[in-house]
Amino acid sequence: MAGSDLYTGSLDLLILKATSWGPAHGYAIGRWIRTSTREVLTVQEGALYPALHRLERKGFLEEEWGLTETNREAKFYKLTRAGRRHLQDELVRWRRYARMMTSALTAARP
Amino acid sequence: MKKTFHLSPGDEGASEDVRREIELHLELRAREFEAQGMSPEAARKAAADAFGDRGAIEAEVRHLRDDTVRTRGRREWVQELIQDARVALRGLRRTPGFTAVALLTLALGIGANSALFSVLRSVLLRPLPYPGSEELVQVWSDHRARGREQPEWLTPPDFVDWRDGNRTFAAMAAYQGWGPDFTGAGEPEALGGVAVSGNYFLVLGVGPALGRLLTMADDDAGSEPVVVLSDAVWRRRFGADPNILGKQLNLNGEPWTVVGVLPSGFQPPLQVAPELYRALRRPATSGCQRGCYVLRVIGRMRPGVTLEQAHADLSGVAARLAREYPATNARTGVWLVPLHEQITGPTREPLLALGAAVGFVLLIACVNLANLLLVRGAGRARELGVRAALGAGRGRLIRQLLTESTLLALVGGGLGLGLGIVGSSVLSSLVPVGVRRIQGIQVDGAVVGFTALLTVLSGALFGLLPALQTARSDLMSALKSGGRGAGNAGGRLRSGLVVVELAFAVVLLVGAGLLLRSFLLMQQVNLGYRSSGVAFVGIGLPRVRYPDGDRTLQAVDAVLTRLKGNPAIRSVEITDLPPLSQGDQDISAIPVGEPRRSDRPEGIWYRSVTPGYLSQMQMRLVAGRQFTPEDRRGSVEVGIINEEAARRFWPGKDPLGRVLAQGEDSGATRITIVGVVASARHDGPRQPYKVELFVPFAQAPSRGPNFVLEPARDLESAVSALRQALAEVDPLVPIASTDRIDDQVGTALALPRLYALLIGIFATAALLLAVLGVYGVMAYAVAQRQREIGVRLALGAAPSGIRRLVLSQAGKLALLGTGIGLLSALGVGKLIGSLLFGVSPVDTVTFIAVPLLLGGMAILASWLPARRAMRVDPLVAIREE
Repeated sequence: MAGSDLYTGSLDLLILKATSWGPAHGYAIGRWIRTSTREVLTVQEGALYPALHRLERKGFLEEEWGLTETNREAKFYKLTRAGRRHLQDELVRWRRYARMMTSALTAARP
Repeated sequence: MKKTFHLSPGDEGASEDVRREIELHLELRAREFEAQGMSPEAARKAAADAFGDRGAIEAEVRHLRDDTVRTRGRREWVQELIQDARVALRGLRRTPGFTAVALLTLALGIGANSALFSVLRSVLLRPLPYPGSEELVQVWSDHRARGREQPEWLTPPDFVDWRDGNRTFAAMAAYQGWGPDFTGAGEPEALGGVAVSGNYFLVLGVGPALGRLLTMADDDAGSEPVVVLSDAVWRRRFGADPNILGKQLNLNGEPWTVVGVLPSGFQPPLQVAPELYRALRRPATSGCQRGCYVLRVIGRMRPGVTLEQAHADLSGVAARLAREYPATNARTGVWLVPLHEQITGPTREPLLALGAAVGFVLLIACVNLANLLLVRGAGRARELGVRAALGAGRGRLIRQLLTESTLLALVGGGLGLGLGIVGSSVLSSLVPVGVRRIQGIQVDGAVVGFTALLTVLSGALFGLLPALQTARSDLMSALKSGGRGAGNAGGRLRSGLVVVELAFAVVLLVGAGLLLRSFLLMQQVNLGYRSSGVAFVGIGLPRVRYPDGDRTLQAVDAVLTRLKGNPAIRSVEITDLPPLSQGDQDISAIPVGEPRRSDRPEGIWYRSVTPGYLSQMQMRLVAGRQFTPEDRRGSVEVGIINEEAARRFWPGKDPLGRVLAQGEDSGATRITIVGVVASARHDGPRQPYKVELFVPFAQAPSRGPNFVLEPARDLESAVSALRQALAEVDPLVPIASTDRIDDQVGTALALPRLYALLIGIFATAALLLAVLGVYGVMAYAVAQRQREIGVRLALGAAPSGIRRLVLSQAGKLALLGTGIGLLSALGVGKLIGSLLFGVSPVDTVTFIAVPLLLGGMAILASWLPARRAMRVDPLVAIREE
């Protein structure tokens, strides 16, 4: 993904996580990613949308039109059952990966 | 959160959605920057900067979105299909009776069709297994101008003239039978061979598997005697010896060198596959001259030449020969038959007739299923109404109904294919062995494809009409009226379908009736000779050791003398040509001293027999005497003719003592008639009487005699007694054939019996289906009109009147269907004309019996519904609404 220093697949994971509490529209998902990663990751914000649609095509998200808090019509993304399963699997993998990387990178000199 | 539905956005909507989504993002993001203290202008710019290349992103998302919509459409379609299939399956399982009947009907209908198609395709549709086979024709002499209805072979000189005088044939090959005795290596054996002109294999386009085949050089009179083996005999008799080439075989006491072996796949266009081939080696000027018809001829027309052009060309040659040799070639024409037709011709009509019959059965089955589905659909009007009210579109409902019928068709078609594969081998027996061997009947991709097509067509045929009808009927009113049905239009449609069904059934029944009556008549035909209890054992005496009649007679007499008094044999006689043996032989015959008449036959079919033969065969002598041992070589040549010959040669006169001459000149053999025997059908029950002559075997001995054995106990011991006697007389002569007359008669009747049986089965199926259809429609009509009937009864109508009402409605359908069917059946006779025997295509018995049978069955089928109508309780019927 252009202009991203995210590890491969982590944007997808973040999006799925962002929708795991309930349907959310694109801007809200982007804002959550920005704040929850403390704006450390410099993402081109527009890159979010192709990712959203890709996840939708994979069947992990489905669209739903609804109204925002300010009563604007907006497209909401809802995590599907398949998406939730995928998120759980990916979380397990991510934890294992992070643990391994951490232990490897913080290891003392042998 | 309020939700709105966006159902299947189109392209326009999709890109608009994407634009709106991004717009919203930028706007909300700008507001965020504003909240941090930026000016609205700067905030908008910051938001846009943070977003990135909007144009590219929008395009990418749009692309992704289109994709998503497409896949989702497909997925939904599949999901709906699965859902429909599930619903259909549930529905079918809920009505196991209906499902079983439908599947069985379809499986039988489709199975019969695919089985018959496998035979039809192999035999009639596929070209012969020779390269450029459409250029091959069988060439015959045409003697119809002489009153001979069958095609005649060619004479050797005519063959040479036709071959060399034409401009339309690339090549012409001749062949004739050859039955050499193979000795010198184990048990002597009579092999089946054929003598062919050197270009025979070239004309058929076959090459050798081993060594070489025959060439024109082998045809020269002085060339080396060489033979080519068939793959079968090479394996059977010579153990597939790879060093067979150059070996010498002792055939008829002469050494013949093996020069080649044919490939295993080669099937010559002959009824019986020969085991070995030799060259004709017949110089045009030897022995057999004009008037001596011994050669069979196959020609290969030049590319692009039509049968008519070839015929006109050869006819020119024949006309020239007729002028040059009027004595032998006058009224001799050319008869060309495409080789494919020559081989498969006799099977064509029965196969097409059976094909039409099974087609009709499937049509009837489909009509019946359509009817069943209509009734089912009408019964489900309420259910469908509910679904329509819940938002299912009409198209969706039609799809649902079609899914059900397609499901039925697919399962039925699958079962049908299985049945077809089984049935194909059974139906193969419809085809004579020779044709079956050459054309090779099998179930292949085309048959599977045909079955698939048939399945789809059947599904559409019986599914579409009911689906449209059911979905068209006013579902809302159906809902209101409590599912009382699809209205009058549906009733008319169902009645129409039943009429169609009945008409088809009548056509089939008429066909079956005609064939059945033909078969029964054929069975009752008096052949004119005994049809059981004797067997014909044929031997062939090689020309080398039996060069003349005396030697031949001597040997046959020696065998007969040894068998006299043998306890295994009740009687033994000789004939050179058993009845029903496919062969025939004729000589020219002129009644001496009779005025020339145009309707008089020019020749007579003859058999040479020993004195006791006619009484052994239980042929009735109507005048004169039998042959005696005194009718021998050197004494007056005598003959016994049949009644047909007496009538045709000497109409109104007593033929006894009169003379038949074998030619015009004074030196021709003259035969004095001493007896008249009742006419017999030597070529089978279907053939008309021919003019026939019997001569004493002693005066016309044959090197191919058949011992006619009447066993005292069993045939085996009689044959082994004969074998022993033969070995004592000549250990090198093998027994060539053993045929029981019972089997021969059975074979002659086997095909007609099979045709009658099959058509009978199909017609019975059609009858049952049609009657079932009548029952279904009447039962449903009564159920639908329960209220009306109830009201009528309540108003004082007599129950018997109600019954009459129902029966008359059924009667009307039956009358209409039968009428249409009978009219169509008039054409059936034409289609199966050549299969009929002794009955007219408009046979009165059949044309009266069929409508009576069908009408009776239809009335019977509506009796039950009629009775139910009579017993309708007015109170219950009216209250039910």
